[in-house]
Amino acid sequence: MKDAETRGGDPTTPAKTTTLSKLGLGGTLYRGSWGQWSWLLHRITGAAVFIFLLLHILDVATIRISPGAFNAVMGIYRHPVMGLGEAVLVAAVVLHALNGVRIIIVDAWSQGAKYHKHLLVGVVVVFLILMAGFLPVHLGNTFGWR
Amino acid sequence: MEITVKVRRVPEQEGASRSVVGAESSGEMAGAAQPRTGKARTSTAPGYWQTYHMEAKPTDRILDVLMALKSEQDGTLTFRRSCGHGICGSDAIRINGKNRLACKTLVKDLGPGRAITLEPLKGLPVVKDLVVDMEPFLAAYRSVLPYLIADTSTTPTTERLQSPQEHARFEKTTKCILCAACTTSCPVLWTNPDYTGPMAMVNAHRFVFDSRDVAAEERFAALSDGEGVWRCRTTFNCTEACPRDIPITEVIGELKRAMIAQAL
Amino acid sequence: MIPRRDPAKRAVVVPQRAELTSWVIMRVTGALLIVLVGGHLAINLMTGHGVHSVDFAFVSGKWASPFWQVWDLLLLLAGLGHGANGMRTVINDYVRGDRARLTWKLVMGVVVAILVALGSLVIFTHDPCPHGAPADLLPSFCG
Repeated sequence: MKDAETRGGDPTTPAKTTTLSKLGLGGTLYRGSWGQWSWLLHRITGAAVFIFLLLHILDVATIRISPGAFNAVMGIYRHPVMGLGEAVLVAAVVLHALNGVRIIIVDAWSQGAKYHKHLLVGVVVVFLILMAGFLPVHLGNTFGWR
Repeated sequence: MEITVKVRRVPEQEGASRSVVGAESSGEMAGAAQPRTGKARTSTAPGYWQTYHMEAKPTDRILDVLMALKSEQDGTLTFRRSCGHGICGSDAIRINGKNRLACKTLVKDLGPGRAITLEPLKGLPVVKDLVVDMEPFLAAYRSVLPYLIADTSTTPTTERLQSPQEHARFEKTTKCILCAACTTSCPVLWTNPDYTGPMAMVNAHRFVFDSRDVAAEERFAALSDGEGVWRCRTTFNCTEACPRDIPITEVIGELKRAMIAQAL
Repeated sequence: MIPRRDPAKRAVVVPQRAELTSWVIMRVTGALLIVLVGGHLAINLMTGHGVHSVDFAFVSGKWASPFWQVWDLLLLLAGLGHGANGMRTVINDYVRGDRARLTWKLVMGVVVAILVALGSLVIFTHDPCPHGAPADLLPSFCG
């Protein structure tokens, strides 16, 4: 019994271009596991923090203009929205750092690859602990609770 | 039970215009191949999804499903297969998004009620439907000198003895069946077709750590260039994909540590 | 298909051990940055009123001590080095075309070089008591 449906047009029509395919990530998603997603997160947090770093060096460099100019720039950081942005930034830095330690352990310890998922759990746990220590202080400063 | 199978159909590609699923491909269907250094390409691999419905038992293998589809519904459906029991590595394909051997994956492994999605391996040029061009994969394999290079400076007077401990050192990497599941699961390969890849590294390990072999340095040289082990991002997709349970990321790590020790 | 490239035809010739060196540098700078960034965040965000306390006087007070000047210099170099090398890999992965890749990497290299120079200058030629500045913005030791 022949029962076949064709979807997506005839074979001579190429699929449309997507940004993902331009990045070499086209086609369907590969259903990798924790290792794949931790790598992707490591890359995203790294790129994001790097972009921030470029801007941060520039904003600190305004200290050369005058004390008033520098303080004005720092004033921008005190805005509550920036405070929340800083929280996200610190989260990205901490995650990238902890996963980086995990990668070093996987590389250096002969049993590292075997226990990489356990190490990932450790990364998440330490991340939550550190953020639990940081957020109350930082958000307190941001919203004037302290 | 009734199952739904979605298969990625790709019309037959001639050599030069073969496109790679999951990476960019030549914009012109019949145009010349564009090397990695060429202009940006404009489309994903040509093809379409074809949906089939059929009866299958939970203990049927995906290979059985494919064979039934080909013989009963659509004779044009194209895929590779040989031994049918997990030793030749011919039928590695992407099943529900993950690289697996079709002959070792049962219908019941894929969760009830879901459509079964079958696609060719990612990162290698597609020849037709589920068949990919293995040549780039095998070229990487050849680059690591995957054969025993023993000391032939003197005529041996006894056998080349190897203790069980010495054998255990590399035993796990003797299991490779060259199915390409590992290499085509690697995100590094998807964006860098020149990446040597996990399979080549596994087979390099098999000889580097073989006590009878003397050519470790030559293999290290092949693995230490810009597309070698240092590109490995410890993503672990290879370890998960390997149907022979070779701990590939661990093996690559052993290679890295040996290469650092040698470099110092 | 995308054929394997002949290494002899690379746009730029790189030494054999370049990738290994890069791999090691990422881990060394990464480990260093855990201390440098951790300390930076702790001192700036977790003491006093956090970022609200960071002003001209605060930074001048820190940079009066060579300890913080060297710390911040190391932070600058390790941070930019680690980040730029990481971005080099990302550019290699996602930018197609030899010339485009080289351009992106060159631009990034130039930007990073400028920021290293600028940052070093800012740290080591800092004047904590500039003429004509309102006294209440200056550190207490300006007297």
